[in-house]
Amino acid sequence: MSELHDTSYEPGLLAEGTFDPGERPAGIKRIPRGVEHLATEHLVVNVGPQHPSTHGVLRLVLELDGETIVNAEIVIGYLHRGIEKLGEHRRYHQLGTLMDRGDYMSGIHGELAAAMAVEQLMETEVPAKAQWLRTLMSEINRIASHMVWFGTFGLDCGAMGQFLYAMRDREALIDVLEAVTGQRMMFNYVRPGGVLADLTPEMESAIRTFLRTIDGYLDEHDALLGGNEILQMRVKGIGTLDRETAVAFGLTGANLRGSGVGYDVRRDRPYAAYPELEFDVPVGSTGDAWDRYTVRMGEMRQAVRMIRQCIDGIPEGDIMAKVPKVLRPPAGESYACVESSRGELGVHLVSDGSDMPYRFRYRPPSLYSLQALEEILPGRMFADAIMLIGSIDIVLGEIDR
Amino acid sequence: MLPDATAIDKALAAIGSAEVATTTLGLEVRVEADELVAALEALKSGEHDFPMLVDLFGIDTGEAVDIVYHVRSLSRDEDVYVKCALSYEGELTSVWNLYPAALLPERETAELFGLTLAGHPNPKRLLTTDGIEPLLLKSVPIRTVEEVRDR
Repeated sequence: MSELHDTSYEPGLLAEGTFDPGERPAGIKRIPRGVEHLATEHLVVNVGPQHPSTHGVLRLVLELDGETIVNAEIVIGYLHRGIEKLGEHRRYHQLGTLMDRGDYMSGIHGELAAAMAVEQLMETEVPAKAQWLRTLMSEINRIASHMVWFGTFGLDCGAMGQFLYAMRDREALIDVLEAVTGQRMMFNYVRPGGVLADLTPEMESAIRTFLRTIDGYLDEHDALLGGNEILQMRVKGIGTLDRETAVAFGLTGANLRGSGVGYDVRRDRPYAAYPELEFDVPVGSTGDAWDRYTVRMGEMRQAVRMIRQCIDGIPEGDIMAKVPKVLRPPAGESYACVESSRGELGVHLVSDGSDMPYRFRYRPPSLYSLQALEEILPGRMFADAIMLIGSIDIVLGEIDR
Repeated sequence: MLPDATAIDKALAAIGSAEVATTTLGLEVRVEADELVAALEALKSGEHDFPMLVDLFGIDTGEAVDIVYHVRSLSRDEDVYVKCALSYEGELTSVWNLYPAALLPERETAELFGLTLAGHPNPKRLLTTDGIEPLLLKSVPIRTVEEVRDR
C-alpha cells in the first residue's frame, strides 16, 4: 500500500496531545494530517533547445526539487557549423563572412577582430579614416545588439512593452548599417586593410537624426524597465557572481564588469580609434543580474557618446590601405581581440604563408559566459533560470560556431 | 601586454621542460605534457598571478596536437601562451580545478581533435554527435574525395 492511500491510524499525532480527532464524522476514513511525510523526488526538466526564452538553440537540463534548481547542465551544439574548420578553407578576405555568422547580433565586431588579426600578421597600416569608421560602426552595432538584449531581457522577466520600443530603436540603427554596408546583419564591412564603404551625407544625417532622439529614448527605456519595482525585485541580488568566480570562469565584457572588474578591451588594449575617444567604463559592484543590467544600460549611453565624437571627428583620407588582392601573410601567429557587445571577442590566426589560414580560432565570449550559468543556477527558482539566461546575454551562433 | 620574459622564466624555474620564447604572438611557454599542470599552477599562484584563462584550443601541427592555454593577468594586463604538444589520440589532462573556464573548451578540444579527456567532471562530447570524426584534424577533409567528384 502506498503512503498516499494509507488510512491507518497515526498514533504520533494524538500522543502529542495537540490534536484530538474525537469521533470521526460519518463517511470519513482518513484523518487529515498533511503531506510532510510523503516521499519526494527530484524532477529532471528539459528546457529547450527550441524555445524563445533560451535565446537560440540552447538546451538546459535542470534537476528540480519542487521549484528550486538543484543542478543544471548546459547542452549545446545545435548550431555547430564548423566555422573554425571552414575558416581553414577560406582566403583571409573571406573570414569576415564567417565571423558575421558567429555572433550574428554584432557582426562588425567579429569582422573587426578577424581583420585586425590579419593586419597584425601582414603588418598593415590602416588609414585613420577607416579606423574611425570602424569605431563608429562598432558602436552603432553595439547599441543595436544591446537593444535586442534589453527587449528580450524584459520579456524573460515577464514585461512586454519595452520590447517594442527597443525594436523600434534598433530598426533605426539597422537602417543606418544597411545603408552603409548593404546588409542588415551579415555586413562584411570591415576588410583587412580598411573598410568597404564611406559614409555619404545622407547616412550622416540619418545618424544625426538618431542621435537627437536616442538620449530621451534611453531615459524612457530605463524608466520603463529598470524603474519597474517588479523587475527590480526579480533581479536584485539574484545570480550573483563575485569577482573571483567571474575571473575564474573567464567572463569578459559586461558580465565581468558587472562583477566589479573594470576590464574593457577598448580602454585597456586600445584598437581602431578608441584611444582618441573619451568614454567611461561602467562597472558594477556585487555582480548580480541588476548590476549586469545597469552596466549594459550605461554602455549604451557611452556608445551614444562615442558615436557623437566619431561623427564629428572622422578625418579625411582613404578608407582602404593598399593590400594585395590575395593576402599571403608571412608564417606566424597572431591574436587580436575587440570588445564586442558580449565581451572579449578574439581571433587567433596561425599562418603558414599560404593564402588560407592554417588554423583559425574564434574565441567566443558567450561560451565563457554560459559556463558561469551552471554555477549560478543551483539554489535558484526555476523562473529565475529564464531571467538569468537573459541577464548574461549570450548568442548561440558564436557559442557553437 | 607583453610580460617580462626573465620574470616568467624565473617563475617557471622548477619546471624542467619549460622554454620561454617571444614570438609574433607574444610570450610563449612550451612545456611537456606531464609538467603542464605544474607550469600552470606556478603561473597562477604567487606574485605572477595569471588568474584568468582567456582561451583554450588546439592546433594540429602535422606532427602532434598543440594545446594552447592563453592565460592573463588582469592586474598587470599581461598575456602568456602556454603550449604543450600531445600525440594524436593522446590524453588531455583537465585543468578545470585550476581554471574552471576550461570546462567547456576542454570538451570541445578533446572532441574536435580526437583526444581523450582525463580528470574532467563531465567528459562528454560537446558540439557534435557520436560517430562524427575529429573535425579539426588536418587528416579529416572538409569534403571526401567522392563528395567533391559528385558535386
